[in-house]
Amino acid sequence: MFKEGMLALVGAGFWETIYMTLVSTFFAYLIGLPLGLILVVTDKDGIRPMALVHQVLGVLINIIRSVPFLILLVAIMPFTKAVVGTVIGAKATIVGLLVAAAPFVARMVESSLKEVEKGVIEAAQSMGASPLQIMLKVLLPEAKPSLLVGSAIAITTILGYSAMAGFVGGGGLGAIAINYGYYRGQTDIMYIMVILLVIIVQVFQEAGMRISRHSDKRL
Amino acid sequence: MAEQNTMIRLSGIKKRFRQKGGELEVLHGIDVEIAKGEIFGIIGLSGAGKSTLVRCINLLERPTAGKVYLDGVELTALPERELRQQRRSMGMIFQQFHLLMQRTALENVCFPMEISGVPKAKAKERAIELLELVGLADRTDSYPAQLSGGQKQRVAIARALATEPKVLLCDEATSALDPNTTAGVLALLKDINERLGITIVVITHEMSVIQEICNRVAIIDGGKIAEMGSVEEIFRTPKTKIGQELVYHEGSNREAYVGKLPHCYRVVFKGGISNEPILGRMMIDCNGVVNILSGNTRHIEEQVYGQMILQFPEEKELREKMIGYLIEKGVVVEEVEYV
Repeated sequence: MFKEGMLALVGAGFWETIYMTLVSTFFAYLIGLPLGLILVVTDKDGIRPMALVHQVLGVLINIIRSVPFLILLVAIMPFTKAVVGTVIGAKATIVGLLVAAAPFVARMVESSLKEVEKGVIEAAQSMGASPLQIMLKVLLPEAKPSLLVGSAIAITTILGYSAMAGFVGGGGLGAIAINYGYYRGQTDIMYIMVILLVIIVQVFQEAGMRISRHSDKRL
Repeated sequence: MAEQNTMIRLSGIKKRFRQKGGELEVLHGIDVEIAKGEIFGIIGLSGAGKSTLVRCINLLERPTAGKVYLDGVELTALPERELRQQRRSMGMIFQQFHLLMQRTALENVCFPMEISGVPKAKAKERAIELLELVGLADRTDSYPAQLSGGQKQRVAIARALATEPKVLLCDEATSALDPNTTAGVLALLKDINERLGITIVVITHEMSVIQEICNRVAIIDGGKIAEMGSVEEIFRTPKTKIGQELVYHEGSNREAYVGKLPHCYRVVFKGGISNEPILGRMMIDCNGVVNILSGNTRHIEEQVYGQMILQFPEEKELREKMIGYLIEKGVVVEEVEYV
């Protein structure tokens, strides 16, 4: 069923997908992690309540999150072009992915950090810890297992987005599924791509859960 | 009390919380002086404001009005950075321990030293010493989840002592522990007080905790200090209703007689006379009997006290004769409220 060269194409698509997913997850966390921290810290019962910052950031995040991913991808094309010089292919997709994923990651981080018991933060304050020390030495380390579970969810969500980006000229397995499976009617290729995506999701999810469980000292 | 002997001074502390539909004042002007080296108890029923009060001492809660002094320094006047510095000279332990769950016992004790910039090797050395002091030398590498409640509180105590504080604040530190573990933790606190000379403030709702380790006590009720004095004084003659409630309650089935039976009296025997059969002699000499409703003994500051709730006879003359007999023998007799 495979034509010559198909295997190479799929292989390239596979690595492209992995590359897009990991790179955009990395950048999404680079932006989303501090944003999540700011959300928690500036909340009204946080360690540095700042109502205005909290609200503005919250609304901004909600706006980006409420735009459907494909529309967002198209809407920010001028920005994408300015950043990476192109609107198609893996590089362009990464820009779209991280813009879409960073607010999502911020919310995931926020909910993980909120799981940290308030009393533990209070104990650190009673020892004279500064807000920065509480963030770096209490909030993040104590929320680590939950953050790791969150990152597994983020990676798999971003992977799903990256496949969608195939519709508007993105690379990777999604693009192959759409170009060959959908436009050319080669349904078998489409199914293979779907199976591959399912396997990748399973691997990332399972790995994330295992690392989280292993790192959690509460068990 | 001379200023140089005072460790903590609270003056006119008020605390209001903003709530739905207005403000709620939980502390209505509290004045307390706690001397250097003493173990000071603050007791009250839940909702009395005692936890808010202890949080006002290290300004985890900022009082709405009033001043807090620590060893002569007015904490309420300090900027954030200097306040954090001062907090390092006040350790605090909590009912729910609040240990860092992802750190070992040793790393937990190192935590406050990390924050204040103590070199790692030195911090570790001191943390091991402290864990030895609290009797956990063999659990340094255990995570909190692997420790029992009492062990967790011991780690918390070691952690609170890491920065060599002048004061240790204990917020219901034994309320989540069983009686045996409680006794162990209280003995440890007393030992720390004696060995290191640290001033200890104990917040609790249990009179037994106060009697076990405190020198002086303040009873807080409805956001005010109802009564304050030496533990002995308060135990022998609680003056306020809340004081009596807290003292009588201990180990007696108060509900069975308060307001239900007439002519009930609480009698307190001090020290040696607990061993004499005063009660028996009284019944023979006065030719009348009393009904014993409850009784127990307490150790307060190395002294033995016996307390009993007795129902005296109906006949007024006989009753007064018996009470007079007891008072003459140096026994404190006080009528229990009868409605």
